[in-house]
Amino acid sequence: MEKIRVLKERLPEWKFLDELLLDSEAMLELAQIVKLQDEWLKHRASSLYIDPLLIQLKVKLLAKNELSEAFVKSWHPIVQLDQISPKGLERAFVYWRDLLPMAERFKDQFGSYGTKPGSVGYAELIELGVFTRQQFDKDLKELHEALLQKSNGDWIDYGEFIKADSFAAKVVRAYLLSFLISDGQASLRTDPLTGKVWTMALREKVGGVPKSVAISVSEGA
Amino acid sequence: MMETADKALLERKVRKAFQVLVLQRGRNPGVKGWELKRHLGREYKQIVEVLSEDVSPLGMEVFEVKGPDGTDDTSRFLLRFKEPPSISEAETSGIRIDDLAVLASTIAFVNSKQGRAARREVEHFLRDKFPKWRVEYSLDRYVKRGYLEQDDRSLLHIGWRTRAEVDEKTLMTMILSRGSKEVAPP
Repeated sequence: MEKIRVLKERLPEWKFLDELLLDSEAMLELAQIVKLQDEWLKHRASSLYIDPLLIQLKVKLLAKNELSEAFVKSWHPIVQLDQISPKGLERAFVYWRDLLPMAERFKDQFGSYGTKPGSVGYAELIELGVFTRQQFDKDLKELHEALLQKSNGDWIDYGEFIKADSFAAKVVRAYLLSFLISDGQASLRTDPLTGKVWTMALREKVGGVPKSVAISVSEGA
Repeated sequence: MMETADKALLERKVRKAFQVLVLQRGRNPGVKGWELKRHLGREYKQIVEVLSEDVSPLGMEVFEVKGPDGTDDTSRFLLRFKEPPSISEAETSGIRIDDLAVLASTIAFVNSKQGRAARREVEHFLRDKFPKWRVEYSLDRYVKRGYLEQDDRSLLHIGWRTRAEVDEKTLMTMILSRGSKEVAPP
């Protein structure tokens, strides 16, 4: 009470808000200390207070079945009834009825996630900004040159040729090579028994009926 | 005539109180005081007392767990076993002895630390006796079921369910008074 009386007298003399805030903060901290001391004293005075070291020692020395027995002998389990009510059944039915199929459920969060695989054309890639036309032509020419040098008229391993530092670069090389093959600037040979694939650069374009070959490109070697 | 009507009304309210207490409504068992007031009227505490006497021959009682502000309205009222079950009864309820031992040790440890202890400290203490995976699994499970509470500073407190189901004084006394016949391996 004395302190509050002093506060009442002095409060109008303080001019700065900062001072007032600091003082109120100090008061709050003091009140918290008093509260903690009060809790500590109450706990020490209660019959629940036991030296933590003594408890640790006792628990260490007791067998598991003795500990569980101590628990069971002080345990009064709650009595309750779990049941399905008509309301609960109705809610479950409404939930199931309104549940979207898996393919549609996450459409909002993940956009086109879940759509089936399809093909991406050259024009679409340019539109998506993966290539510019000039860059595509340049890269295609460079890859043709590299294949010419490496194969030198012989069949070389397809996987070895498309190998790159990153998986993304490997996919780009495979994609460009497919253009060269479709355009008749390179050829492809497969062995259905071993699954091996070879490729070779052609100095002159060849015509003929193109055949479609599906080759999967995976990460790593 | 009036007395008969009053008696019938009381019986109806006691029956209602039993139904409200025994049927689980939310995630946690039991009913708050304000909810009982809504179902039974202002005199709900007296009705609950009558119910507690009525279910006593069946080995049950109505127990009150005080809320944070200590008022009747925030208290949680539950129906519970009046006497503890036997060990074999507890075992048939599907609870493992190891899990009960973890809970008993944790309650004793947290109580000895003024009702709160850092989870890491509790885990370290329990690992002397129980495998690491069991300690983590059991603590998570007991936090989920309300026997323990974990705050945002990872401090473990005694949960409302322990307050409702466990006679903590008896537990502490039992642990302290037990002899150390068998020394558990480290």
